[in-house]
Amino acid sequence: MQDTAVAVGTGASSRPAAQGRLARIWASHGAGYMFLLPWLIGFFGLTLGPAIASLYLSFTNFDLIRAPEWIGTANYARIATADPKFAAAVKVTFLYVVLSVPFKLAFALLVAILLDRGVRGLTVYRAIFYLPSLLGGSVAIAVLWRQLFAGDGLINSLLAQFGIEGPSWISHPDYSIWTLVVLSVWQFGSPMIIFLAGLRQIPTDMYEAASLDGASKFRQFYKITLPLLTPVIFFNAVVQTIDAFKAFTPAFIISGGTGGPINSTLFYTLYLYQEAFGNFRMGYASALAWILVLIIGLFTAFSFLTSRYWVHYDD
Amino acid sequence: MTHKISRRNVLAGGAALLSMSALAPAFAQEARLRVLWWGSQARADRTNKVNQLFQEQNAGVAINGEFLGWSDYWPRLATQVAGRNAPDIIQMDYRYIVEYARRGALAPLDDYLGSVLKVEDFDQVQIKGGSVEGKLYGISLGANSAAMMVNAAAFEEAGIELPTPSTTWDEMARIGAEITKAGKRKGFYGLSDGSAVEPLFENWLRQRGKALFTADGKIAYDANDAAEWFAMWQKMREDKACVPPDIQALDQYNVETSPLSLGKAAASFAHSNQFVAYQGINKDKLALRSHPLIGKDAKGGHYRKPSMFFSVSAQTKDPELGAKYVNFFVKDPKAAEILGVERGVPESAAVREKLASTLDELGRAMLDYVSGLGALAGDLPPPPPSGAGEAEFALRNVAEQVGFGQLDAKQGGETLVNEVSQILARG
Repeated sequence: MQDTAVAVGTGASSRPAAQGRLARIWASHGAGYMFLLPWLIGFFGLTLGPAIASLYLSFTNFDLIRAPEWIGTANYARIATADPKFAAAVKVTFLYVVLSVPFKLAFALLVAILLDRGVRGLTVYRAIFYLPSLLGGSVAIAVLWRQLFAGDGLINSLLAQFGIEGPSWISHPDYSIWTLVVLSVWQFGSPMIIFLAGLRQIPTDMYEAASLDGASKFRQFYKITLPLLTPVIFFNAVVQTIDAFKAFTPAFIISGGTGGPINSTLFYTLYLYQEAFGNFRMGYASALAWILVLIIGLFTAFSFLTSRYWVHYDD
Repeated sequence: MTHKISRRNVLAGGAALLSMSALAPAFAQEARLRVLWWGSQARADRTNKVNQLFQEQNAGVAINGEFLGWSDYWPRLATQVAGRNAPDIIQMDYRYIVEYARRGALAPLDDYLGSVLKVEDFDQVQIKGGSVEGKLYGISLGANSAAMMVNAAAFEEAGIELPTPSTTWDEMARIGAEITKAGKRKGFYGLSDGSAVEPLFENWLRQRGKALFTADGKIAYDANDAAEWFAMWQKMREDKACVPPDIQALDQYNVETSPLSLGKAAASFAHSNQFVAYQGINKDKLALRSHPLIGKDAKGGHYRKPSMFFSVSAQTKDPELGAKYVNFFVKDPKAAEILGVERGVPESAAVREKLASTLDELGRAMLDYVSGLGALAGDLPPPPPSGAGEAEFALRNVAEQVGFGQLDAKQGGETLVNEVSQILARG
């Protein structure tokens, strides 16, 4: 990093020097850029390019087959004023984010604290607890969830032992969203790993001093662990919130692509997918996608703005 | 130094790959046809065998077959067509043929009629079913009709006679409640909740002289019709003639997840050509029955429709070869023997006649059902307009709202007509 600063400072005065600067940058960073190349190609070709194309398409009427037809802001106007399904999808998605993120983080933190107490075979437990995060987004798990929470699934068989006759959880509009929240919480692995690393960073002498002063375990957690962990909590919250907004597979598989019953699992991304590939409205779906980008952006910006009131960076 | 050598190696490797891919076309066959269809493994086995046969009889033609489930099929087809990478032969549904034909994705086949496509002995109504705005875009692969799949074994256990072609909805509701009440199986009901099944609703509407859509693509029933439909099912739900709404909502409207296949009900509503697939995954003996009537003398609810088409892509290099393949598929006696009635009853009179002697019990039941509908069958309705797929979703959504008690039948009727009208207006 320091090398670059020097090179820029000395070479900015004249042209040959500028060329020399480029050569020097190449000499010192060329290999780095070459290593970056696969990622750069991927970023420009597969992310940025399509993103710009979708921004253009969002102002068109595009049915995938005929050429896109420019219609100005009509798609956005319809989303804002005349699309009840958009409202339904936003409601379901917000509910999902608001329910799944806090539960998941709390659970991940709880497990991390338990593991941090020096359990024997920590690495094994860590791997086991991380496993659902690797599997969780997959189709197979969503199918499994269907089996668990269906009318005569495993959950109801267990409840039956206690004489409770449960409904078909995944296909009842009052409960279906909860099965998706549980599925999300079950994938607590990646925030847990990060929490665990964060807990390890907290100096043990603080706890020792606190115990000497007679602070209870709960007070120690509340006064030491939590404040010092806030940067990690903040990071996890932002990442998980973005992930939750983007969730698609579980709702798609569990509802069979419908978002039902009665739109109760109609995630925003699922609605977007239906519009694009079910109803051939690629232009409208692109507009929906950009609205989602905007929503996530606003949420993230809001988190960062409020963060200085509750996140403590240890300087 | 090592750095340089490895880079050279990489370049050499890349060059070798490039030259290999340049060689590939030299080995390729003269012509290649990609065929895409939806359906079960049983259908794939049959189709692949016919493709093999076509290759044997047409030297220099290679056929690549791909198949998917129904719900994955349409997104895949749409993206392939949009990416100018459409399969040459496309299995097409009555619901989508208008959308694809109007957008110029399909090749008109009129020029090949009589030369490569010899479909003179087809039922002409079914040929018309594959036409959009006066041009032929799809060749029917078989005729079918909406039908009721009935678990004959469960009826027998409950000591109840199977429904007949003259069974009315009133009687069916009573039968359903009796099967539930007999309680021979755990958590078992008489009927599936068919309030969200569009072909069933259509059948009921047609008996009343209405339809789903008019010829110019507008809604063809009113809020009172829909309200009465929802009220009829509400009553059955209350009488436990059909499954409760949370069980019905497990149904993704395919063979595997219908309440009949899940062992929750003694009857589900489907299409006659699915009888093979239904019997395939149900241990109990099933029977194929027509839909109930609104009154003893009601008729014309059913219709014979092309169960699916083969269309030729507008992007194909050789549409004539495509037409030749389609003709082989629907006319060749050996192909017909392999395919059986899995895609519906063959449209060609000659093929049908030849096939009749070779069919097994299931195939015969299906053939008899489709050809024996008589006055129960009426005219083929015009192809559904754009937006029909969304309208079907709307029916399902509103039916669930009524089923779970969020709307009463009257509100349901109004909501449905409202939503469907808006969808059709948007197109």
